[in-house]
Amino acid sequence: MAYKGNNINPQTFEKGQAKLIAILLPLAMFMLLPIVFIICHAFKPMQELFAFPPKFFVSSPTLDNFKKLMKASQSSGIPISRYAFNSIIVTVIVVLASIFLSTATGFALSKLKFKGKFMLMEINNLALMFVAVAVMIPRYLTIDFLHMTDTYWAHILPLLAMPVSLFLVKQFIDQVPDALIEAAYMDGANDWKVYYKIILPMIKPAIATSAIMAFQQVWVNTESSNLYVSDENLKTLAFYMNTLANANNSVAGQGIAAAAQLIIFLPNLILFIILQKNVMNTMASSGIK
Amino acid sequence: MAKKSKKEKAPKPQKVRRGKLAMRDAIAGYCFVAPWVIGVILLVARPMIESARYSMSTVRNTPNGLFVTFTGVENYRQLWLNGVTFMTELVAYISRTILAVPVIVVFALIIAILLNGKIKCKGLFRLIFFLPVIIASGPVMGMLVDQGAGSISTLDTSVIENIVGFLPDAVSDAIVNVFENIVLYLWYSGVQILIFLSAIQKINPSMYEAAKMDGASGWECFWKITLPTIKPMILLNAVYTIIFLSGNEQNTIIVTIRDTMFGSQGYGYASAMAWVYALVVTLMTGLIALLLMNKKDQYAKKVKLVKKEAKRQERMLKKAQQRGKKNAKKIAAYKR
Repeated sequence: MAYKGNNINPQTFEKGQAKLIAILLPLAMFMLLPIVFIICHAFKPMQELFAFPPKFFVSSPTLDNFKKLMKASQSSGIPISRYAFNSIIVTVIVVLASIFLSTATGFALSKLKFKGKFMLMEINNLALMFVAVAVMIPRYLTIDFLHMTDTYWAHILPLLAMPVSLFLVKQFIDQVPDALIEAAYMDGANDWKVYYKIILPMIKPAIATSAIMAFQQVWVNTESSNLYVSDENLKTLAFYMNTLANANNSVAGQGIAAAAQLIIFLPNLILFIILQKNVMNTMASSGIK
Repeated sequence: MAKKSKKEKAPKPQKVRRGKLAMRDAIAGYCFVAPWVIGVILLVARPMIESARYSMSTVRNTPNGLFVTFTGVENYRQLWLNGVTFMTELVAYISRTILAVPVIVVFALIIAILLNGKIKCKGLFRLIFFLPVIIASGPVMGMLVDQGAGSISTLDTSVIENIVGFLPDAVSDAIVNVFENIVLYLWYSGVQILIFLSAIQKINPSMYEAAKMDGASGWECFWKITLPTIKPMILLNAVYTIIFLSGNEQNTIIVTIRDTMFGSQGYGYASAMAWVYALVVTLMTGLIALLLMNKKDQYAKKVKLVKKEAKRQERMLKKAQQRGKKNAKKIAAYKR
């Protein structure tokens, strides 16, 4: 039976949808607030940014903040495109590589048999709990030890092993039926082929979800530019936007910060909208028996 | 008898083959895991161990490099005796988290159940409820909190303060804090909703049908079928929530640790803080796991007990049989 939207639900909602929607709609409004806020905030003129009590919606939108941002970025030595280029390269590599790492590891931990795999999962769970801030300096020393300061690697490597996405992906691979994999082995597939032709297509939703998470982590990451990279040419867009907002005095900086926030946030939203069908399938596909 | 001998014969060749396959499997497994393991050892495990070492020493950062002198538990002692702000923050964090976790989990469960119902534009609703996830951990959230968007301004918290006034300060503060940040908590629950929804959809619909046939109401179905089935997911969500809340940028303790790191007290002291904090988080996770796991395992426990009992009886039977055989031999020898 093909999966069709909602026929998996228990049939308990005959009384009509009105009350459900009545509950969900206001909550949905709340959920939308942050996004509305970011967009509104970027278009607020100066007096609204500092209005007290703070206003949520913009009443007279302007493009002033963006103009100021442009102006500020023109006055710096390195063109903004350079930062954007760095960010894009780093983000693409991290997202692709972390997806590869977590799916391959998830496949091995879930479907292949070897010694020590439970221990590895435990290590992952432990890493999940630990505070990232606490390892800041040792991590710097490691990067220094590997001679990777002032390279792209300093941006990329610390973020590659993502415990959360490994956790998620492994949960999904657990649900891939063993019979399917055995059938593939019977037909002469090797492990690599099973991974590539069966596992990957079947866990697309999990991949999409972890891609979004990875993207979000890398894209807004300023720590690596702050700590590991001193060469201006190799810093990322998020870091640059931050400095622009902080470098100017706090009053003018607020407007620039708001505009920069929106610019940094937009790719997140766009990626989410592109991948949303897959992410929403995260819920749907796990319903298939 | 014939059957038995077949059974006895079968394992031998299988064992040999299985060994080879297991080897191959293992090699493939290590190949797939290797890159991740290298990454973890270099960039996660090693820094963690280093930071544990630093937490037991004084770290001085000089132009000539890092000087680490071992001082034992001095940092922890200092933290315990003099770290007043840190300790108050830690207590506040614990009470806040313990209150926030149920709020988030229950909210996510309710939303997941509602979203699982039959409504128009379900896809759109799901999208909207997952949307805050993409900003929940970003710097945008910090800005929103600064703006006071995390609280409902019409909700007068002083009323709540009066109501819970009889409780000790730490508890009442935490309760007021939950009400102040209620909107923030709604935003944090995107992933939890997702996990719950997938768990609810995995429940076999024929269970509901059977219950319906026996005259169960929707309410009863929820308590007797939905809730027990998704209990592991409740645990998962609770743990996820704790981890999320404790690693969050908005968390004051993280800010304190970071400030200490570059402050006068130095990195060793901050490392000690971080390890105490990590310990507290782990303890809390363990506590919640214990709380939620106990009842879940009841059935499994019973099954295990029954199996154990069956095995014991089998063993006894075997022993008795062997003894019987021995005795028979003895008797035969004696007779001869």
